[in-house]
Amino acid sequence: MSTDILSEDEKDVLQELMNIAYGSATAVIAQMLDAFASLSIPNIQVMQVATLLKTFQELKSTSYFFASQAFHGEFDGESAFFINEESAKNLALHLELENRSDLDDAILELTNVLTSSLTSRLAQEMQTEVGFSLPNISKVPLNKINDVASFQIYSKVIVIDTDLNFKDQKINGKIFILTKDESIQWLKTKLNIILEELI
Amino acid sequence: MKYLVTDDSRLARRVLVKSLLTLTKEENIFQATNGLEAIQVMLKERPDIVFLDLTMPEMDGYTALPKFFKIKPDVKVVVVSADVQEQAKERVLALGASLHVNKPINEQKLKEILESL
Repeated sequence: MSTDILSEDEKDVLQELMNIAYGSATAVIAQMLDAFASLSIPNIQVMQVATLLKTFQELKSTSYFFASQAFHGEFDGESAFFINEESAKNLALHLELENRSDLDDAILELTNVLTSSLTSRLAQEMQTEVGFSLPNISKVPLNKINDVASFQIYSKVIVIDTDLNFKDQKINGKIFILTKDESIQWLKTKLNIILEELI
Repeated sequence: MKYLVTDDSRLARRVLVKSLLTLTKEENIFQATNGLEAIQVMLKERPDIVFLDLTMPEMDGYTALPKFFKIKPDVKVVVVSADVQEQAKERVLALGASLHVNKPINEQKLKEILESL
């Protein structure tokens, strides 16, 4: 069993678990914002952090609100949620928010609910337990994303990314779930146990 | 009847307070942004029902929960969280919460919660 990449079978199992978790999170978010929401099928990749940061920088819009939230346990990592300025303005309109502070608060709550519902459901499927740190928000130019301290603790990460869309409200965001180096081996073992149970 | 809504998110508090106002017509609805603030409100206002988030700054819901019962042993605490893990639910129930419900709470869900308490 290789320690640094996921096999196709392992990816398939993780994809299936993520589909379950995302289905649950979509329902929660749709109810929270009282709007029809869709989450794209999650894309799973293992990459070096330098490559991930390049991916962030290649997001189309130049100015994003960026919120992140760490989770801890055997499954240890961080979620990163990006929402561009136009979508953030539309979110503010939809929720009838009055100022920037209220918008920050709404993005943080969206991040918290997305991270908690996704990660806790995923943890449940993998029969482990996770705890959550408080989410943080910053507005950083994407060419400065390398400076975000939390990403400097990773070398290689499993990245699960998806798009969150509220079509009618023209709100879309991008979510990345990053898994810490030391959790990758744990995750591989767990995925193989699940795989063996399935076949 | 007095209510206390504890959540660090203004949005989450706003949604819950609005539904509470609609359903109960009650004016005694207090708000706190973390566990420490909630304890201050508990001491001063002695609410009957507390809605409590888990992930908050200063003092989280897990830490605040047992302290509520020292102030008011018969208080009903409803933990409201996006954490769907069974362990989280078991932990808060063991600490004395009446219910653990998943975010978000709409009016219908809140009605069912209030009726069940």
